[in-house]
Amino acid sequence: MVTVTININGENRTATVPPETTLLRALRDNFNLPGSKLGCDVGDCGACTVIVDGKPINSCLMLAAQADGRKVLTIEGLASMNGVHPLQRAFEDCASLQCGFCGPGVIMSAKALIDENPDPTIPQIRDALGGNLCRCTGYVKMIEAIQIAARVMRGETAEVNR
Amino acid sequence: MACMWYPIGFTVAANPSSAVVKMDEDGTATLLTGTVETGQGSLTILAQIVAQELGIATDDVVVVSADTDATPMDTGAIASRTTYVTGNAARMAAEKVKLMLFDVAAPMLGVKPHQLEAKDHKIVVKGYPQRNMHIADVANHARVVTGEPPIGSASFNPATVALDPETGQGKPFGTYVYATQIAEVDVDDETGEVEVIRMVASHDCGTPINPMLVEGQVEGGISMGVGFALQEEILFNAQGVQINPNLTNYIMPTSLDMPEIEVDIVDNYDPTGPFGAKGVGEPTLVPTAAAILNAIYNAVGVRITSLPATAEKVFNAIQAKREAEPKQITA
Amino acid sequence: MDKKPTVAEKTVVQEPSILHESVIAPLVSYPIEVVVPKARQQTPAVGQRATRLDGRLHGLGQTGYIDDITFPGMLYAKIKRAGVASARIRSIDTSEAEAMPGVMAVVTGKDVPCNSFGPSLKDQPVLAYERVFHAGDGVAAVAAVTEQIAAEALEKIKIDYEVLTPVLDPLESLKLETPGVHAPSANIYQSKVIKKGDIEKGFAASDHIVEGTFRTQMVEHVPLEPHATIAMWDANGRVTIHSTLGRITLGRADVARTLAIPISRIRIVATIVGGNFGGKNEITTEPVLALLSKKSGRPVKSVFTRPDEFIASTTRHPLIMDYKTGVTKDGRIQARKIRLILDGGAYCSWSETTLGKACILSAGPYNIDNLYAEAHVVYTNKTMTGAMRGFGAPQVCFAYESHMDDIAHLLKMDPLDIRLINAFNEGSLSPTGQTLQSVVVKESLLRAAERFGWHSNGKGSTNGGTNGGAKLLEKENVNGNTVRV
Repeated sequence: MVTVTININGENRTATVPPETTLLRALRDNFNLPGSKLGCDVGDCGACTVIVDGKPINSCLMLAAQADGRKVLTIEGLASMNGVHPLQRAFEDCASLQCGFCGPGVIMSAKALIDENPDPTIPQIRDALGGNLCRCTGYVKMIEAIQIAARVMRGETAEVNR
Repeated sequence: MACMWYPIGFTVAANPSSAVVKMDEDGTATLLTGTVETGQGSLTILAQIVAQELGIATDDVVVVSADTDATPMDTGAIASRTTYVTGNAARMAAEKVKLMLFDVAAPMLGVKPHQLEAKDHKIVVKGYPQRNMHIADVANHARVVTGEPPIGSASFNPATVALDPETGQGKPFGTYVYATQIAEVDVDDETGEVEVIRMVASHDCGTPINPMLVEGQVEGGISMGVGFALQEEILFNAQGVQINPNLTNYIMPTSLDMPEIEVDIVDNYDPTGPFGAKGVGEPTLVPTAAAILNAIYNAVGVRITSLPATAEKVFNAIQAKREAEPKQITA
Repeated sequence: MDKKPTVAEKTVVQEPSILHESVIAPLVSYPIEVVVPKARQQTPAVGQRATRLDGRLHGLGQTGYIDDITFPGMLYAKIKRAGVASARIRSIDTSEAEAMPGVMAVVTGKDVPCNSFGPSLKDQPVLAYERVFHAGDGVAAVAAVTEQIAAEALEKIKIDYEVLTPVLDPLESLKLETPGVHAPSANIYQSKVIKKGDIEKGFAASDHIVEGTFRTQMVEHVPLEPHATIAMWDANGRVTIHSTLGRITLGRADVARTLAIPISRIRIVATIVGGNFGGKNEITTEPVLALLSKKSGRPVKSVFTRPDEFIASTTRHPLIMDYKTGVTKDGRIQARKIRLILDGGAYCSWSETTLGKACILSAGPYNIDNLYAEAHVVYTNKTMTGAMRGFGAPQVCFAYESHMDDIAHLLKMDPLDIRLINAFNEGSLSPTGQTLQSVVVKESLLRAAERFGWHSNGKGSTNGGTNGGAKLLEKENVNGNTVRV
């Protein structure tokens, strides 16, 4: 067993887990954060995407032990006292998610993109979502929502309005 | 280019839906349905249908679904049937609630029940919009004064006629939808790789209950169609065991593979559907592969007759065509 | 007599502590803004671009899927897959697995009260027993205190197979001399015919006969959420099953049949399903989990791995489609003959519906007075094919629309024009003789063409002037040819 302390969504959390435990399993089973989804467990689908030290990663490919001492942001940490995150709001307003299973991963990939590039082009958005599979939406309304959210975050528009 | 037709509901076989609608004393309503939300947005559509019938807003309807202990029978999320079949049942159940409200409101408004309509959160005398009661007041009166809390249940099953076993003649479905998709492709004649650049999709779904969700279905269907046309295939070894049962080797469309999509909803109204609606779930992917393959044919003159049209297949076909044709002098 | 260790005799395994609640509780510790988007508050409700009822929770990661639900004492189940496409099972030895610490229950086909189900033909076993019909067949299942122990226990189950030669090619399967996949049943397990008019007369009245053969492949639904089930058999003899089923009513009846208990003893809850596309329209592991729960007295969960999703759930029917069409020189279809062969895989599943829809739709949305369409579905020892978005329609549309462009090319007609000439009108008779209502196929053709910028050299009379189809609008591109079609 290994004991890990991870800064998750701004709080230091500690758990003792078998060494083979992935970050995804630890988030879901030990830290009570089931927002990140298990879709393939081998890094193909992106449903488990979280942000570790500013970079989007597949949490099914990282061991919990590798995340020890690092900063992890999950979908549960995206909203704040000020309300839901502009990405969450834009995804809702554009009906960007259908079954929703890929959603937490997609939104975290989009968050990492906008943090790095506040004004992404459509090809850049497509690139950023390249590791997130979605079977329902054709990605169209996701790309639209990410553009709207980026605009809101740049302060160009106050409201997420279609 | 490819066009298509597609039916709503099961082939002849009964595929009923039942629904229960009840209204609370503040004029908000609950729909009980045995269908399951599998991502299409069907519960939102059903809420809109119930709200429309009762003259209230979508947000005034709560939907309880997918629990066999709590919800009435439904054939389920299959065969593009939810909007049409479950939607009809939900509308009819809501209509019964509405008629109970009319019975309660009629004496208070001094008219007969059939002279009333429900709209904008009010029970209104037809033709006299000033003569109205708020729906909450009527619902409350029904509960606390007349003791008839508004509730209604209904079932719907598409009308069909069995097919003759010899000739296949009969009426297998209640209704059909129609669509056309046109693809613009870029074929790399050095590698055979096909990129779908643009898709125009013109779809009939009867009345669109929610155009935004119709667009979502079309866009998603096209992505599944792109995979069917160009990428996806389960492969077996000689012993009949799958060799690519994972998302590493089974290739499906990512955001990078998607064309620009223009969705067009054809104006239509089907008298047998709820508020004229039919359905849209499955048909969205039906013409996609055909449209893409016809575009490839027009681009490079090769007819790929087996799916998927992988780069290898397209390249080999281009090579075969070049070998078969006399050499041409390029300008 | 084989001696099985009782649970009390086994080493006790430390179970993982259950941290999360039995249902998803709100996970945020701040007020959630209650802003209902305007479209959901407006009347009339129909026609509004209302946001989805579940959209807020989806975006917050708060939608509770089956795998997000945990119950106290819950076990994890794994199912052992055959791995061979066709075999006779000589013996199954589960004793070593049962003896493993942490293993709470093991079941095989002999434990299933009624080991067959299916939406039409009841040809599918819950767990294969005696015979294996495809490599994804489940042969035994284990429930253990952790997923890892369950996976290790599967390795300890010993199965002795007599491997048989599988039937893999649907055209081979058609032949009389090919051994029956489900002998004594024939390999062609369902057929459908549609006859209208007189095709020989129609072909005789045609100026050209065009033929083509088209094939499609097997594909998987790939819902992002894998199949997941939790079963809890309570002391009243009632079983509650949380399941990723799109059709809970059918699922409940099938579970009742396989467990041989009244329907009223079963509750199925589907919450929200993370993608279906037809792949979650019939039961898979539900009866197995129910039996494991009954045997262990505990809630039992299983989630398909992604490989399970491919090999043990249904797929789309591959089709082999022969088309022959007689057409006049001005593009009017006089007769069409179609033969469809569907690869049904190991079990019928939703083949009856797929066969029917494929056959009825196979002529396309066109007025064809003389039609003969036949369709046959055959067994092979491959992954079962079943319901998938479109039920055979994407396959036949690929064929009839490719065929249509081939005809247009032969006649030097614009593909749009030949479709407009033959397409259904309001009140047209379908191939089954149904009078069609609310028909807008021509409207959709014209609107799509206009939106796309389809360049046509006039309507309906292009056989003189065009270069065999749409004008080519080539974009600048070094390697490729960008063409609008």
